[in-house]
Amino acid sequence: MSSLSMALRLTPYLARSSGSSLRETGLRDAGLPVLAFGTVTALLLTVAGGSQVFWSWSDDIAGTYQALAVVAMVLLIIPLLTLGASAARLAARRRDDRLASLRLLGADSATVVWMTVIESTVLAAVGALAGAGLYACAAPFLGLIQFRGQAIAGHAWLSVPSILGCILAVCVLAAASAALGLRKVVVTPLGVRTRQTADGAHWVRGLIAAVVVVIGVVAMGMLSSFGAFIVIIAVMGGCFGLALLALNLMGPWILRLRASSQLKRAKRPEQLLAARTVLESPKESWRQVGGVAMTSFVGVFVGVGMSVADTMGPGATDETALLVRDINTGVMITLLGSFLMVACSAGVNQAAAVLDRASTLVALDRVGMPRKLMVAARVKAVMSPLVLVAGISAAAAAVLVLPLTGTVLLTQPVVFLTIGGVFAAGFLLVRLAIAAGTAQIGQVLARPERYASMDS
Amino acid sequence: MNAILHAQQLTKHYPGSIALDRVDFTANAGESIAIIGPSGSGKTTLLHCLAGILRPDAGSITLNTPSAPLRLDTLGDAALSRLRREEFGFVFQQGMLLPELTAVENVALALMLNGTDRATSESRGAEWLGALSLAGMEQRRLGELSGGQVQRVAIARAQVTGARVVFADEPTGALDSATSNEVLDVLLRSVAANGRTLLVVTHDPNVAARCQRVVELRDGRIVADSGSALAAPVQPAPATTNFKGAFNV
Repeated sequence: MSSLSMALRLTPYLARSSGSSLRETGLRDAGLPVLAFGTVTALLLTVAGGSQVFWSWSDDIAGTYQALAVVAMVLLIIPLLTLGASAARLAARRRDDRLASLRLLGADSATVVWMTVIESTVLAAVGALAGAGLYACAAPFLGLIQFRGQAIAGHAWLSVPSILGCILAVCVLAAASAALGLRKVVVTPLGVRTRQTADGAHWVRGLIAAVVVVIGVVAMGMLSSFGAFIVIIAVMGGCFGLALLALNLMGPWILRLRASSQLKRAKRPEQLLAARTVLESPKESWRQVGGVAMTSFVGVFVGVGMSVADTMGPGATDETALLVRDINTGVMITLLGSFLMVACSAGVNQAAAVLDRASTLVALDRVGMPRKLMVAARVKAVMSPLVLVAGISAAAAAVLVLPLTGTVLLTQPVVFLTIGGVFAAGFLLVRLAIAAGTAQIGQVLARPERYASMDS
Repeated sequence: MNAILHAQQLTKHYPGSIALDRVDFTANAGESIAIIGPSGSGKTTLLHCLAGILRPDAGSITLNTPSAPLRLDTLGDAALSRLRREEFGFVFQQGMLLPELTAVENVALALMLNGTDRATSESRGAEWLGALSLAGMEQRRLGELSGGQVQRVAIARAQVTGARVVFADEPTGALDSATSNEVLDVLLRSVAANGRTLLVVTHDPNVAARCQRVVELRDGRIVADSGSALAAPVQPAPATTNFKGAFNV
């Protein structure tokens, strides 16, 4: 019997026997993955619905709108994959006893992988259906948004095949993320443990990122020589992509450097724990805060866009003025979606991390570690990298757009107000999400007997 | 002998069952006590009540401190947490240490939680690890240590603060017999050398036989107590393992 067919036969048995544990451990078992995939799907459908109006146009400027819509979609892909991988790891951990027992009974590694992939996909499907319901509730409000001077109205509604396509895409991504996520988990007959691998946050990442930034700066400096507006927009979009790539390359490496420095200077227990948490996996830390880095990056672009719009003044054509206004609208919507995604990601990651380490937290509580210290360590482990990467990404954006905007950036107070507002909103949302996630600590410690015997 | 921990008429219910049924129990300073009994007999519940982890439904628990007797059953959560940090040490079956910290950081953390500065904490942590034959492994992560070595780190963490009572819940339950003997040896010798009281919950008759006193529970009641008579005296530590001399506790 093949591994897949064995997995297909065994998975329903595990699902059926988990009925009582689902009620008992609710959030840990299925709630978090379903919540994660539901949010992802709702945001994906909202963005897809909102942007499909751009594909209904066929005039000269339609291509610009379509390109910007694609950029907005790209911004959501990385948090989507992060959430998917977290959900997959959570799925493997919640099944640890059963999966280990199956290995003991002779099931091979491939069967266990297939079972986890199937489970993750089923959870993703449930979440995606719930997300589609959420989108249906939001679509009427989405229709009120104006582009090119008109409400998008009925264009906010995706066709049924499109919605099914999005749900299918989320399920496929969940399955892929599950398979990739399982690379970090080893299921043996004696239990499930996280694979200890050296985290490759090497300095070479910084070097490659620097080269990418230089290419971007050179391209931006040559913008005026490109002539056509559409080409300029395309080059700007390309530079935007390069900057995001640079941020992703550089992020884990910078976080590791910063955490190493914080570890040396740590005096209090929460400082020690926070620094070690980041050093444990700089890439994981980056995945949690990387979304806000991109959002901050976009925030700087928004500020600059507004300053450019101000300088166009009465000389600008109606069409160009409308385009600038629509870009601002689009970026603001993308920012909102991005913030929501990052906040959801941070909240789910924190809740998953708390549940994953529940038995250790119970043990630490028993040896007398104050609860507020456990929370403080987790908050610091996220907020410290967050502040760092937001600052760096804003600086990277400023470097890129400086040749375009010149002194406008420095003379328009609204630029700084917008950027400051974007950062403050981002920090606040993530802080609230962490608070929601770490609230699980209280629930874990309120019923320690549930977790005391579990391996961490 | 001086009583350090005294429980009177200790009662604890769980839905549909009684875990402790009017238990009277006294632990004397410097004793090593094994708490044995079948599954569900209430031994872990007794340990948790005595350690201030669980609150009894009725009865009292008194800890004799140098300043004044403390009634654990009347203390709030924060006071109990502080008591567990300062007066008690814990060794669990799986170690329950933090995997992201190094061995010495895990031990030092217990001192840092009590306000000791990091340098002093790590220095004392390293001394303890050295005395428990883990010299040279201070900077290793838990994943790089064997099960027995991890339990030694846990034993060091339990005692580095100068805890007067060490609670151990199946400390050798996850180890093979050879490693189990080795870890138990380290635990008993280090506790005895520092004059601490050890309460160990165990299913293992070999562990019980090594303790000075054995208390047996059944259906939430103490059905046998070997008293303070030494069932198997702890052998004095060899000259090469001078636990007491190594630490300022």
